[in-house]
Amino acid sequence: MNFQELQATLHEFWAAQGCLILQPYDVEKGAGTMSPHTFLRALGSEPWAVAYVEPCRRPGDGRYGENPNRFQHYFQYQVLIKPSPPGIQETYLESLRCLGIAPEEHDIRFVEDNWESPTLGAWGVGWEVWLDGMEITQFTYFQQCGSLDCHPVAIEITYGLERLAMYLQNVDKITDIRWNDQVTYGEIYLQNEIEQCTYNFQAADPHILFQLFTLYEKEAQQLLSQKLVTPTLDYVLKCSHTFNLLEARGVIAVTERTRYIGRIRQLARQVAQLYVQQREALGFPLQRSSVPSPEPA
Amino acid sequence: MTDFIWELGTEELPADFITSALAQWQETIPSSLAAVDLVPQGMAYYGTPRRLAVQLTGVPAQQPEQRVEVKGPAVQAAYRNGEPTPALLGFLRSRQAELSQVERRETPKGEFVYLVQTMPGRPAPQVLAELMPQWWQGLTGRRFMRWGDGPVKFSRPIRWLLALWGEEVVSVTLENGSERLHSDRISYGHRVLHPEPVSIPRAEAYLDCLRQAGVEPDVATRQAKIQQELQRVVPSPSQAAIPADLLTEVTQLVEWPSGILGTFDPAYLHLPAPVITTVMTQHQRYFPVLDEQGKLLPNFVTISNGHAQYEATIRRGNERVLKARLADAQFFYETDLRQPLAAYVPQLANVTFQEQLGSVLAKVQRIEKLLTKILAVTDYPNEEIQQILRTAHLCKADLVTQMVGEFSELQGIMGGDYALKTGESAVVAQGIHEHYQDVPTTLNGQWVALVDRLDTVVGILAVGLIPTGSSDPFALRRAVRNILMITAAIYPTYPLNLQKLFQEMVAILREDFPQFNDIELQHHWYSLVTQRLHTILQEKGLDYDLINALLGIENPEVTERILTNIQDLFDRAEKLMNLRANGILQTIYATVNRATRLAYQGTLSTSELSAEQVIEPQWLQAPIERELYQAVHQLLTQAQATQRTGDYDGLIQKLQEIAPILERFFDGSESVLVMDENPAIRQNRLNLLGLIRNSALVLADFSQIVKS
Repeated sequence: MNFQELQATLHEFWAAQGCLILQPYDVEKGAGTMSPHTFLRALGSEPWAVAYVEPCRRPGDGRYGENPNRFQHYFQYQVLIKPSPPGIQETYLESLRCLGIAPEEHDIRFVEDNWESPTLGAWGVGWEVWLDGMEITQFTYFQQCGSLDCHPVAIEITYGLERLAMYLQNVDKITDIRWNDQVTYGEIYLQNEIEQCTYNFQAADPHILFQLFTLYEKEAQQLLSQKLVTPTLDYVLKCSHTFNLLEARGVIAVTERTRYIGRIRQLARQVAQLYVQQREALGFPLQRSSVPSPEPA
Repeated sequence: MTDFIWELGTEELPADFITSALAQWQETIPSSLAAVDLVPQGMAYYGTPRRLAVQLTGVPAQQPEQRVEVKGPAVQAAYRNGEPTPALLGFLRSRQAELSQVERRETPKGEFVYLVQTMPGRPAPQVLAELMPQWWQGLTGRRFMRWGDGPVKFSRPIRWLLALWGEEVVSVTLENGSERLHSDRISYGHRVLHPEPVSIPRAEAYLDCLRQAGVEPDVATRQAKIQQELQRVVPSPSQAAIPADLLTEVTQLVEWPSGILGTFDPAYLHLPAPVITTVMTQHQRYFPVLDEQGKLLPNFVTISNGHAQYEATIRRGNERVLKARLADAQFFYETDLRQPLAAYVPQLANVTFQEQLGSVLAKVQRIEKLLTKILAVTDYPNEEIQQILRTAHLCKADLVTQMVGEFSELQGIMGGDYALKTGESAVVAQGIHEHYQDVPTTLNGQWVALVDRLDTVVGILAVGLIPTGSSDPFALRRAVRNILMITAAIYPTYPLNLQKLFQEMVAILREDFPQFNDIELQHHWYSLVTQRLHTILQEKGLDYDLINALLGIENPEVTERILTNIQDLFDRAEKLMNLRANGILQTIYATVNRATRLAYQGTLSTSELSAEQVIEPQWLQAPIERELYQAVHQLLTQAQATQRTGDYDGLIQKLQEIAPILERFFDGSESVLVMDENPAIRQNRLNLLGLIRNSALVLADFSQIVKS
């Protein structure tokens, strides 16, 4: 199964479970969780079920493409369902079957792993899923998001697409993943990876990044005061990514680090509150029809 | 007599929660059953990742008759002129009782009417149905969660309830928002070995049914099975290394264990052994395989939860993962070794030690500064001093290497390895390696560990993060204990004054971080030291009163003296223990204790060890007084000598000599009254006792010693 078939198969599976299939969000981010499809929709009482691919950037994780398993730019397959339905683990195992991984032929475990994002003021409880010892998925029951309690609770399922593809294609390097049957992942992304690492670790101008952080923060505050939810979130995400770049560049003094995280978390909390107020003012439009959610397998 | 089974079906529970939940139940369920008069003949507790269960065997069908006490109206309201009032009669009617059954009882709120009735016992299933929710709701653990749209909190979502009384389902319901679970006779077997539901015909059949469905519910049996599997798959004479905590954890990660032996490329064996075992045990939960000499072999055992038929696939998968992990580690190792360890030191500026106290680099610089100062006054050879300082300079450098970034548990170990490989001496490498240990074995490691911990303790206390109850995020209690034990370990080579070292540390900290309160800092330091010493002395087997006699009760002077010379405290502790064991303490403690307590009514300073200024011989009137005065003279001479030399046997000898004289001074025909009417005589006598107290204090505070 090539990389694009892998994504298509997951889309088909989760669409059949009643999930909306949405597109990636066009702002740089460290995880699929930061997309408004998750960060905002996990909040409030309205039901929600979504699946999407999200490209992620973690500047500090870059290794110039030299490490066979680690890129600073990669893809997550993200599923979010609220409220979390009974039987979701079994549904997930069925999704593996669609990928050609019959659960009964493997050693599959749900091993405790709790997730926390101090910048987003978010945390949850769950597992990493092991397939014959390999972590292929993160499972998280959201407990807080934007420093607000999640009620009802959403379940987030995040597949590591490169890991899965390497397993399915029996290759040892990210770059060897077959994107389709003719072109490899490396042919598409290796040069990008090297250049982005050079940018992240060497070429980025810290002076400009510091200015950008301040400007983005200011813009977020300004937009917040005008009660514009997604535009604010865009600038919160830009703050977060700029902070990650500054960290990768090694220019954030340790005594300052917590303060920067606190500044972003503060904005994330405000945008979360604003979103909840906005949905309430709109009369919780998605409450009307129950968004279909998966039946227990 | 009937059997009962109750199973709480869940999504996969954290491994440590299963262990903790079963321990909690072992504690609480027997007493909860005793409280309702339902005592079974046997109880068993089962747990796997997907279930917690309690099985009771031989439970009585119903409770015995229950004696019930019901409080009625106050006597004042219950009777008028000796006749029952409507209030009392109404109460009796509501309880279906007769006037003759009433008792009167005094309560803090006055006299009340009580009814003592015997009620028929209720059927056991009814009572158990009420207990089950209490049992699971009573469990505690870290990070409980909510799920779905309900308010219920538990370790992981609850998915089914099995409750059988003999063959009958005991009805209980669990509501969580729109989810509603009803108890049934249905359990679920192993996820892949037996995905279908399992119907349990009767309570006794629970274990058999689950074993047929690929689940071993009994933790001890499962653990024994894992140990057997580890033996089975590893060809003798090599064997699996089985760390106890890993075995416990793995037991709670699987329902039907089977061992699979895997291999990896022997080329990876050139990596340091701790790297390989950390990857295997911490990250993959594999058991390493050792040869007869205890050396790592290119093998591992994974305890699979899958079907034995697919062993080959599962082995291949695990081998791939381990290969990728080892390839990662190899990559980190080679990259890290591209520059000498020393080159990493400046990057420590980017690692936070503590928000207010700055970076780890700043910490290392404080450690180096203090060590430079203190080592200059030792008589260590210069070469040795330079080695300690070099160790200090490099001790944290590995924190910014890729390997430690990935496997933080390898801190220190990697530093030692990289030091050796990039041109540092073996002594320095060893010191770096072991400076995180509680009490390192080499002098190098000891000095660096000591000052590293002292920097942590003083710094963290200075910014006001005082450990409270269970919250001690910087592990200060452990650090203080290490400091005390390491100081004693260093003592044979240098008589370290810990109090002075503490003050030097405070001074160095103040250069970068001026705004803290000295007095509070010292108070917290003393209190941590005293608490830890308490524990240490208790572990050495000292009785409680002797510990108090040595450590004092919140007495800063005593703590200061101890810190000046820790080894001396341990010497005195041993002396006291021996004195109690050989009976000598028995002959002196009572009189010295009495003298000491009386002396506190006087004004003599506890440090005075000379009679000249404080005793006026012309006021010594009674013969016994003069005899005591002579004895006190000798005692004082000895006490002063002991203070200098630590000759406690000599002091004890003198205390033994003075004890009978003191006895005669207090009681019997020759005795005198200490609290004489004449202030000058009284003062003289109190001071005599004060001098005895002070001499004894060189050893211990006898007012705390109570009995042998």
